Amino acid sequence: MEAMRSLEKGSRREIGFYSQNLFLLLVLGLLWGVFHLLTLGQPGKFLSPQNLWNLSVQTAVVAILVGGMVLVIVARQIDLSVGSLLGFTGMAMALLQAVPPIGEGWPWPLALLVGLALGAGAGLLQGYLIAYLGAPSFIVTMAGLLVFRNAAYLIAQGKTIGPLQDGFLVLGGGLQGSIGPFWSWVVTLLALGYTLGVVWRGRWLRQKHGLSVRPLWMDGLLSLFLVSVFGGFLWVMNSFPHPTTGQGRGIPVPVLVALGVLVFLHWLSQRTRFGRYVYAIGGNPEAALLAGIPVRRVQVLVFGLMGLLAALAGAVQAARLAFVPTGMGTLLELYVIAAAVVGGTSLAGGSGTILGAALGALIMSSLQNGLVLMGVPTEWQNLILGVVLVAAAVWNARFHRRRS
Amino acid sequence: MAQQRSLVVGVSWANFQEERWRRDEAAIKEQLAKMGAQYVSTDAQSSAEKQLNDIDSLIARGVDALIILAWDKDAILPAVQKARAAGIPVVAYDRLIADPYAFYISFDNVEVGRQQARAVYQVRPKGNYVFILGSPTDPNADLLHQGQLEVLQPAINRGDIKVVGKQYTEGWRPEIAQRNMEQILAATRNQVDAVVASNDGTAGGVIAALAAVGLAGKVPVSGQDGDWPALNRVARGLQTVSVWKDARELGRRAAEIAVLLARGTRPDQIPGVQKFRVPGDPRGTVVNAVLLKPIPITRDNLHIVLEAGWITKEALCQGVSGPQAPAACR
Amino acid sequence: MIPLLRAEEISLRFGGLQALDRVSFDLYEGEVHSLVGHNGAGKTTFIRVLSGVYTPQEGRILIRVGQELREVRFGSPRDAQRHGIETIHQNLALADNLDAVANVFLGRERVHRFSLDEEAMEAEARRVLERVGARLSSFRVPVHRLSGGQRQAVAIARALLFRARILIMDEPTAALGPGETARVKALIRSLREEGLGVILISHDLHDVFDLSDRITVMKGGRVVGTVRAQESNQEEILGMILAGERRG
Repeated sequence: MEAMRSLEKGSRREIGFYSQNLFLLLVLGLLWGVFHLLTLGQPGKFLSPQNLWNLSVQTAVVAILVGGMVLVIVARQIDLSVGSLLGFTGMAMALLQAVPPIGEGWPWPLALLVGLALGAGAGLLQGYLIAYLGAPSFIVTMAGLLVFRNAAYLIAQGKTIGPLQDGFLVLGGGLQGSIGPFWSWVVTLLALGYTLGVVWRGRWLRQKHGLSVRPLWMDGLLSLFLVSVFGGFLWVMNSFPHPTTGQGRGIPVPVLVALGVLVFLHWLSQRTRFGRYVYAIGGNPEAALLAGIPVRRVQVLVFGLMGLLAALAGAVQAARLAFVPTGMGTLLELYVIAAAVVGGTSLAGGSGTILGAALGALIMSSLQNGLVLMGVPTEWQNLILGVVLVAAAVWNARFHRRRS
Repeated sequence: MAQQRSLVVGVSWANFQEERWRRDEAAIKEQLAKMGAQYVSTDAQSSAEKQLNDIDSLIARGVDALIILAWDKDAILPAVQKARAAGIPVVAYDRLIADPYAFYISFDNVEVGRQQARAVYQVRPKGNYVFILGSPTDPNADLLHQGQLEVLQPAINRGDIKVVGKQYTEGWRPEIAQRNMEQILAATRNQVDAVVASNDGTAGGVIAALAAVGLAGKVPVSGQDGDWPALNRVARGLQTVSVWKDARELGRRAAEIAVLLARGTRPDQIPGVQKFRVPGDPRGTVVNAVLLKPIPITRDNLHIVLEAGWITKEALCQGVSGPQAPAACR
Repeated sequence: MIPLLRAEEISLRFGGLQALDRVSFDLYEGEVHSLVGHNGAGKTTFIRVLSGVYTPQEGRILIRVGQELREVRFGSPRDAQRHGIETIHQNLALADNLDAVANVFLGRERVHRFSLDEEAMEAEARRVLERVGARLSSFRVPVHRLSGGQRQAVAIARALLFRARILIMDEPTAALGPGETARVKALIRSLREEGLGVILISHDLHDVFDLSDRITVMKGGRVVGTVRAQESNQEEILGMILAGERRG
């Protein structure tokens, strides 16, 4: 008699589950290796502290956005307004803090808060139109794209707005925008401790409940890997010298913000009811409804979150440039969606991880970084990026099909 | 004398989003009003197809002259032919249209490039140079570069100047210029002595990248447009020059030419006209053109933009203090 | 004896279509009461009313509370669940991209200080799945990779986890092979032994007679008749389904 078969042992399944992200990590490593080889002949190589520091800051804006986009796409929606919203909120924050007669001269923390509120509000509004009034997200957010782009132009009367306050510029990296070697040590050790704690406490909890755990060698290897990644990151950040103090700069603030956002979103998506509901809605909206999940409320919140992240990314981008042009963020949404797709998020909904998307963003950013470092002209950069994107999409599609 | 009926001039904008076109529009409207003509306009919102439709609708509305700021210089050609068939004179505004029927008015973009290069060369006649160019799809970007090279090529040939980095900037976007500059600095390990940037937005991105490695103010950077943050940077010593094109002058002259052409004046009789050969054109097209002279604004002549009412003193001199301040801010 | 559930004169219209017409039905403890009829007879629609998905325009639903019958209104599936009615829909209503644990607890997750208590949920889920006869060592795979029988087990486990008194099963064996079908039938019998009331929709009359205490035939949104399984046979039921009326 065919009884319910027992499923395969835990460890093999775990590897299968993580194999997609492992593959991305491999691709990233390969990319870095290739670029380093290709730049050995010039004074500034790919794996130099300066370039890796650059890379981390260049990835920050997209990294802040991509996690939110993953949740949107997993929930079977799309948000095309992200770039325009980034531009609009960035412009608002610039106008509020710029000294009169250019702006209102408010203290920058207040301008930042208002900008974040604007972003969240815009996101919630779009979410409401989509979830409660039933309009397709493609149309609503495309309208958002047009409206916010033009709103950015209107509030600035078409002008470029700057300069911005020094405190605000910290958000963008640069000379004042890193936390220094001491605090970098503190942050890294705390983060490493927390992550190792999650791994080993999780193991202990499972054993307490009588559940199966990964083999010890696997958790040991994972811990070793984490230590080397965190350690390597810290070493790179502390190795890029500050021109006036000569000391290492430490972790740039925008990178800290991006990592914080990613960690939070990872926790949100894997460890909270809200995250669970987003994936359930993406997997089977009817089942979610029948299970009593407040589907519409969750969808509104997903868009609200995306709007908030767009504003945060807008602040980082504005601080990085130290001024805000009216076209800031144009076409960025496509780039963010591409990063999510490279990272394994399926446009059909229901699957995609924050970690994968972060790796996707890093892969795309590394490509651009490396190509410009080598002096490759613009047209070729875009061509190569396009090819990589298609390859990633095809690969991920095959990966998904093989697994079902 | 027969009563002249009110002429209607139609303006087809490419993308009203960009900062400067507001000022142009105001100047055009003012001049048209002075000459007793009416103003109608459309915005192509960065779409070549939409611009063709826009011009169709302007022709259908019965305009007497067209001023076209082309989004795509090649895609616009059929629209120019339609205007010609309808007997409507066309003024190509700031962006060149390679059709002898279109009367070209612009600032001499090659001269802008020369002025940018000259200002930087004066500060740093020798060393490692970087070119941060404009949008690869904008013909003006190459005109600017042509002028820049005219000034710098002899020094390059002599070996005084070494070009260590050159990148176009898609859409003229400052974020992209910043990233490109960061990478060039990384590739050369910060051994950069001068940057020739083609406009103020990209110059801002370049300067943000330089600031991150402590080189802002130490490396000369050029720009154009006279946008307020850029002029402030010039006052603070972070940017060497912003080549200023008084857009109001451009708008005024374009409106004047449009009305004159509509009234029947022959193109070769327009005051200030010259023959302009389209650069890089295999057919060797020559257009009638009026090329206005731009003004390079450096810390020594900031008073010009103040006196012209282009920028207020507070905006210009924000954050500028002490003995290093330029004359205009004391 | 007081029934667990009684539906009186339930009527439901969708626009111009009369989906249910004065349907009455009741269910006792420890009973399997089957619903049979053509496709479109209204069986699934009626089930949806009982599980809180649809609200009828007329009629009432009474649930046993203690020793008496109390009228209830279901505004949502969650209301029905609160009264101990658990439904296993025809398509199982599983989120295919989530694993068995997540599906068992879908919508009713256990939380420990803002975080999902994954370990507790997995432990409980294992226990329930064992109770329905599945021996699983790890089930962190998305359920779309499980077999039909395993998916059925997950859906049943979900229903049982939350102490159902009334279990509604819509075509539970339609997509299963013979071995898995036997397993599910054995499970239904054991649930009946435990005192649950089971409403079963099935098109397989052999299974219906094998399992049921009573059988209700529906046609065109109406109840044709209700018979005791022991007092009837397949031919009679078939006749009722086709003719739409009770003979004799």
